Amino acid sequence: MTKRFDDGTVAVAQLDLVAAEGQITVLVGPSGCGKTTSLRMVNRMVEPTSGAVLIEGRDVRSRPPAELRRGIGYVIQQAGLFPHRTVLDNVATVPLLTGTARRVARARATELLELVGLPAELGRRYPAQLSGGQQQRVGVARALAADPPVLLMDEPFSAVDPVVREGLQDELLRLQCELGKTILFVTHDIDEAIKLGDAVAVLRTGGVLAQFDPPPRLLAAPADDFVAGFVGRDRGYRGLSFISADGVAVHELATVPVGARACGHGWRLAVDGAGRPRGWLTPAHTPDVVTEQGLRAGGSLHRLGGPMRSALDAALSSPSGLGVVVDERGAAMGGVLAEEVLAAWRRQRGADAR
Amino acid sequence: MLADVPMFADIGGYLSSPSNRDKVVGLLGEHIVLAVAPLLIGLAVAVPLGCAAQRVRWIRPALLGTSSVLYTVPSLALFVIMPGILGTRILDGVNVVVALALYTTALLVRPVVDALDAVPGHLVAAATAMGYRPVRRFVAVELPIAISVLAAGVRVASASNISLVSVGAFIGIGGLGQLFTEGFQTRYPAPIVIGIVTILALALAMDLLLVGLRWAGTRWERA
Amino acid sequence: MIFSQVLAWFGDPQNWSGPGGVPVRVAEHLYYVLVTVLIAAAIAIPLGLVVGHTGRGGLVLVGLANSMRALPTLGLLTFLFLVVRSQGVSTVVALVVLAVPPVLAGSYAGVHSVERDIVDAADGMGMTSLQRLWQVELPGALPLLFGGLRSAVLQVVATTTVAAYVGLGGLGRLLLDGLRSGPGGYPQMVAGALLTAGLAIVLDLLLAGTGRLVVPSGVRLALAGTGGKSRRPGPSPPSGE
Repeated sequence: MTKRFDDGTVAVAQLDLVAAEGQITVLVGPSGCGKTTSLRMVNRMVEPTSGAVLIEGRDVRSRPPAELRRGIGYVIQQAGLFPHRTVLDNVATVPLLTGTARRVARARATELLELVGLPAELGRRYPAQLSGGQQQRVGVARALAADPPVLLMDEPFSAVDPVVREGLQDELLRLQCELGKTILFVTHDIDEAIKLGDAVAVLRTGGVLAQFDPPPRLLAAPADDFVAGFVGRDRGYRGLSFISADGVAVHELATVPVGARACGHGWRLAVDGAGRPRGWLTPAHTPDVVTEQGLRAGGSLHRLGGPMRSALDAALSSPSGLGVVVDERGAAMGGVLAEEVLAAWRRQRGADAR
Repeated sequence: MLADVPMFADIGGYLSSPSNRDKVVGLLGEHIVLAVAPLLIGLAVAVPLGCAAQRVRWIRPALLGTSSVLYTVPSLALFVIMPGILGTRILDGVNVVVALALYTTALLVRPVVDALDAVPGHLVAAATAMGYRPVRRFVAVELPIAISVLAAGVRVASASNISLVSVGAFIGIGGLGQLFTEGFQTRYPAPIVIGIVTILALALAMDLLLVGLRWAGTRWERA
Repeated sequence: MIFSQVLAWFGDPQNWSGPGGVPVRVAEHLYYVLVTVLIAAAIAIPLGLVVGHTGRGGLVLVGLANSMRALPTLGLLTFLFLVVRSQGVSTVVALVVLAVPPVLAGSYAGVHSVERDIVDAADGMGMTSLQRLWQVELPGALPLLFGGLRSAVLQVVATTTVAAYVGLGGLGRLLLDGLRSGPGGYPQMVAGALLTAGLAIVLDLLLAGTGRLVVPSGVRLALAGTGGKSRRPGPSPPSGE
């Protein structure tokens, strides 16, 4: 499809892509690349100059806009919550538009609040009384209210701070695992695209599709300089996110419980009662009783079954050079070495090349 | 004490006559009708006009231009010319109501446009994306959010109307303004002071009413 | 029919000469307007600037200005005339009371509209209070200040017609004399209305032109950049813009 505005500028040039059912397809690119325009052509807030958008094989223009839109969830950057309505009534908006009884719509809205991880009591508040992250969750709940098969998300997490954003992204992946919607997600943040997307479409200025691939392929084989530049620094390192670290040897680790006598020598990991790492004892340090104050802060943790990226980072950031591996309860269960992660990576690459 | 001051003694004297008291009350009633009817009419006209100016590009400058020109015509002139335009008799309250409704519309068009402009674009987009059709979206989303900005304009129009009605006294229909011409002709300030004080009190009461209405309509802003 | 009668009125040389002629009436009208607006500006602009600058008494000021708007000019005029017995003084005082609220509101809102960040930056650079007012707040306040002046001029031009009631000249004479001479006076009233509106429009255009010269172009550009949202259905800007 193509969109040319009245003034002659082309926002989207012959974009042709298929968003797989039940998957997250991300449109990413710099500002002015037509990603939002493309998204809005799906629910007819922008009409294409030529070409067509099909949902489940049906042209969106075969349905009246208002009716079409009620069947497509839409989440935007500022959440777009109506300030004059309570949170609950915001979530119930579309069911109420389609004529659902108020009581039923509100009951459903309460369920949805819980689904997106908000306490039901928040429903009585007004949007202005919520934090940015909470507002975004309400925005997602509102988009899900009519149980639409398709969800359009336009930079939904761009306006919140990085820590909250990461939580929201994890939450979206969890929800998607449960609901299996067909999601079209627009962002200008390539990291977000790589984290969330099953497939990522990189658009360049003027609405030209530069590459459409799953994230690992985008990192490993950018189509051209523009994509390589856009994917940015550290892409080799970031590519490790998509390779399992299962082949990396996990070594035994010397541990001492906090509060006990410090026996042994060399680097030893101090752990709490549940076996969770608290920090390192240096080789020169052998106190009578291990206390939190006497410890050297530890590095990042690698969860067993995680990707090579976290294993390598755990090793590189650990003061002892030994990356701490933890189980799902967070208890330390061993250590990995950076050179062994790289050796495993080389083996993997050799296998792929053959 | 106050009665010793000649002015207050005069006012007391004026109001001690039952026929004068009845007259003031009657004029007050007339004043309220002459001020409130144009306010309601003007609002009912200005909101759709402002809404149209939002949607169609060329309407906005045309509308704002016309309304500012209209506002340059003196109220006195508008009152005396109305009969020639409407075909009404000179002593007809309709003249004042129509003239003030024109003023109110001219005065309210800009606040309406500003208030609708102040509704964040992303909210309008969100409503559209959820499947609101334009009219319902305007009534259910844009108008409620615009209320507080709009209310400021309505308060100004209300005060202006209440004050302007008195100019109608020149054509014999001026509500409490009649007390001004009466006082001037008889060279007696008491009715004038009573008129001014009553008009101010009326304007204050209307303003409180409008503030109350706004308060009730924008509970969400204070939550 | 009315149209041709009004044209005939304008065409009659008798209406253009002598102490009751159009030029004299316009000059009288203009004179009252200028005196009134100058006095009102001398009172209201400094007051509005100072209150906006210090941030103290803003609510009281706005409330006072609003309630002054409800004061009926005709009532004030007749009352003052009966008390001071001077046509000129009573007219000017009544009109000043009319003109002060918009100028006051405009200059106060103008200073108030200068963004907090800009004021903080001025303080941070070590400007004294007076330097900040003069170099930062006043230039930023000019657009709204001029808006207030313009609406004051419009109101005063229109309301000065009422001065004729206590016997002064000006364009109000045409209206009142026309009203008193019955149906035959109608063309004269329309002529008076047209002249008053025309005078208001000319003065407004002059003030708008002066405003363009006086308001720094940087302030105008900044306003143009933020005012009015684009109705183009283009992509929304990404965050941080």
